[in-house]
Amino acid sequence: MEFGFTSRQEALRKEIEDYYLEQLPEDYTADKSSTTEEQHAFWRALQKRAGEKRYLTPGWPEEYGGMGLDTIEQGIVHDVEGEMGIHWPAGAGLRLAGPATILFGTDEQKARVIPPIARGESVWFQAFTEPEAGSDEANVQLRAIEDGDDFILNGQKTFISGIHKPDYLYTLTRTADVAPKHRGISLFLIPADTPGISYHPQPSMGGSPQNNIFFDDVRVSKGALLGELNKGFYHAMATFEFERSGTNYLGSNRRALLDFVLFCKEETKNGKPLIDDPAVSRDLAQMAVDLQVQELVTWHTIWWFTQRERLGPKPYDLSAFFLKQFNTSHNKIMMRILGAYGQLQRSSRWAKMSGLIESQWQRMRTWHAGGTVEIYKVIVAARGLGLPRAARPTSKTQ
Amino acid sequence: MDYSLSEEQLMLQKTARDFLEQECTEAFLRDMEEDDAGFSPDLWGKLANLGWLGLPFPEEYGGSGGSVMDLAVLYEEMGRAMLPSPHLSTVVLAGLTILAAGSEAQKKDLLPKLVNGDLVLALALTEPEALWNGNGWEPSGVTVKATADGDSYVIEGSKLLVHDAHIADQLLLVARTGDGATPEDGITLFLLDAAAKGVTCTPQATTAGDKPSEVVFSRVRVPASSIVGEPGGGWAPLAASLRVGAVMVCAEMVGSGQRALEIAVDYAKTRVQFEQPIGINQYVQEHCVHCLTNVEASRWITYKAAWKLSDGLPSEMEAAAAKAWTSDAHEKALWFAHQVLAGAGYGQDDGVLPLLSRRGLAQKLYLGDADHHLRTVAEYVKRWEAPPAPRGARSGLWDAPEEQQVPAWAPWRERFERIQKRKEERRQRRSAA
Repeated sequence: MEFGFTSRQEALRKEIEDYYLEQLPEDYTADKSSTTEEQHAFWRALQKRAGEKRYLTPGWPEEYGGMGLDTIEQGIVHDVEGEMGIHWPAGAGLRLAGPATILFGTDEQKARVIPPIARGESVWFQAFTEPEAGSDEANVQLRAIEDGDDFILNGQKTFISGIHKPDYLYTLTRTADVAPKHRGISLFLIPADTPGISYHPQPSMGGSPQNNIFFDDVRVSKGALLGELNKGFYHAMATFEFERSGTNYLGSNRRALLDFVLFCKEETKNGKPLIDDPAVSRDLAQMAVDLQVQELVTWHTIWWFTQRERLGPKPYDLSAFFLKQFNTSHNKIMMRILGAYGQLQRSSRWAKMSGLIESQWQRMRTWHAGGTVEIYKVIVAARGLGLPRAARPTSKTQ
Repeated sequence: MDYSLSEEQLMLQKTARDFLEQECTEAFLRDMEEDDAGFSPDLWGKLANLGWLGLPFPEEYGGSGGSVMDLAVLYEEMGRAMLPSPHLSTVVLAGLTILAAGSEAQKKDLLPKLVNGDLVLALALTEPEALWNGNGWEPSGVTVKATADGDSYVIEGSKLLVHDAHIADQLLLVARTGDGATPEDGITLFLLDAAAKGVTCTPQATTAGDKPSEVVFSRVRVPASSIVGEPGGGWAPLAASLRVGAVMVCAEMVGSGQRALEIAVDYAKTRVQFEQPIGINQYVQEHCVHCLTNVEASRWITYKAAWKLSDGLPSEMEAAAAKAWTSDAHEKALWFAHQVLAGAGYGQDDGVLPLLSRRGLAQKLYLGDADHHLRTVAEYVKRWEAPPAPRGARSGLWDAPEEQQVPAWAPWRERFERIQKRKEERRQRRSAA
């Protein structure tokens, strides 16, 4: 056993870190959100420059514009992005739609969709969640009905993250009423400006931008179907496996804790640095230990992926569990340390750390992307520990 | 990066598992609980024959030159089996200290005997007052005095919760021969007969039934030749052994937690109530998963520390992090297992969960609890420094307050404008009124 990085891996980390330290303006910090025309233009331009260096797609094969790196090296690149507070507008294209197209797309789709994603020229939304398909993702109701050479889509998506104007929607649809429900689902790559699609802002606590998306008689060609009809659920799951990393959260959490520690070194309370309060330094130490656990568990999953031919698929993954557990417990600790000041927001001149901990407190209540922590536990219980599953209704969708 | 054990380590793991399942049965454990000494010389001899007592020592002293990682693999199995033995005291805490600080003559004399199973040692470090004050495992907690008197030293004072003192041939005593600039200065290690004149050893009743003793030194005279290492410089080599020891206790907890997890999951699958296995209930599943997450996290943070120690890398922070995390996580893991087994988990004569649980409390506290080790971690956290800032030219893009930034994307811009318009209308109405 050894838990270090090779000199090649360390060199890659340094290369990516140096690049983004050069590229990011000195007045950017990870807690800034970007909504305006000029901010979008900045990110699109940086995305394009990084795309030219193939930094957006470290894990993709070289023939698709990637760096052809393994999952550990890919994890390092994502870790640095998280540390620097980089959120690519291309997001869902890089993580999901692109890999899915590489795995299941036709030559035409690959030629049309892949180069713009790899070059950082397109913005993607992941349109999966619906009002009746949250934890029960297989219950999607957005209907796609064949009509000659086209499909016609009707329905609604909800809690779809994004604030940059999208180019494409990576969309899960219902194409057959069967039992079990996940055998009647298909994936589509849908141009975002197709007539009949409308977007409605759905702002969340803490400022994360999400959207309701309505589909009214939206007509797309059969070329929009990704992979096999009614195999969409399996394709989507295979892609989650392929692109699972989570190291961007390691980077962002490491930076968040570091920033809080630096705050506690500078800030005083009763005339003494906060960090000299034994209760505070104990809290900081506990969070540092938690961070080590999160790193070890996350890299374990990534390492396993490099060994999957020898070890087979990993029966369970605890990285998301710990991520969600620690993020909430750490925010609670930080809020306790800030006391009454914890509620002051950015625009108050009295706010500590620009109100960052306050906005995170709100975000902790929106922290359900990819499933609630309760859903993870049920999955780990069944797949990891082999405990019996409660019977679920498997009736057809209405 | 490699999260797997080597072929040799897997072999050691299997040998240890098989041997301990054979020798360290539930009946044997109960027997040892009732035994006044709680120690089987016969089994100790078998451990020597297996080479377990010599694992970390160089071949010249009869050992096999194994790494701290190898030792951790063995400790995980010993923890799983709850092997009652003075291995940690003898081999790690006293043995590695002698290896690091002892004279060549001491090493040549003592280590081969130790490796052969002919010498049981105990570390007498913690004191009544310091354990109460919270600095039991720190140099500032050492007050037992050793006063030079001609060619010998006279020792006076009390130690408390000295593991294995009641069965030890010799004690590695941590005493104060002087004071200096730091609490470490003036700490000296002595090796003396456990039955020496003036030494009184009284085992104490504890949760784990592991019989740690109060050891009182009343005008105990020892020759200067019994000093191990530099007079006044005993803390540094001892601290290194304490660090390895803490990680070994973590490895024991990993093995013990893994066994509890297996017991809990097995019970959840087989115990039927209301006509179905209780493991179908999500509350029961959650307890099992929390047991798993605590054990698995403990495993990796423990082995990471063992890897650092094996490779001679700076390891103080990692060892402290491992003991801080695992001490609490193990107690939680066992708690969840108890919740799953409920009435089937607490019968003293029935099953091993009570034994795992009770020993867990001793493991949590031994060589420093979470609070102690978090203080060490905190010292490292205090040294964290600001990371390099971006070097790109100032953009001014984020100068305007967030609430005044006009979103670029139409649906959000329209929403923004609607809100601004309503605000403006309200303002106008107010000024009109």
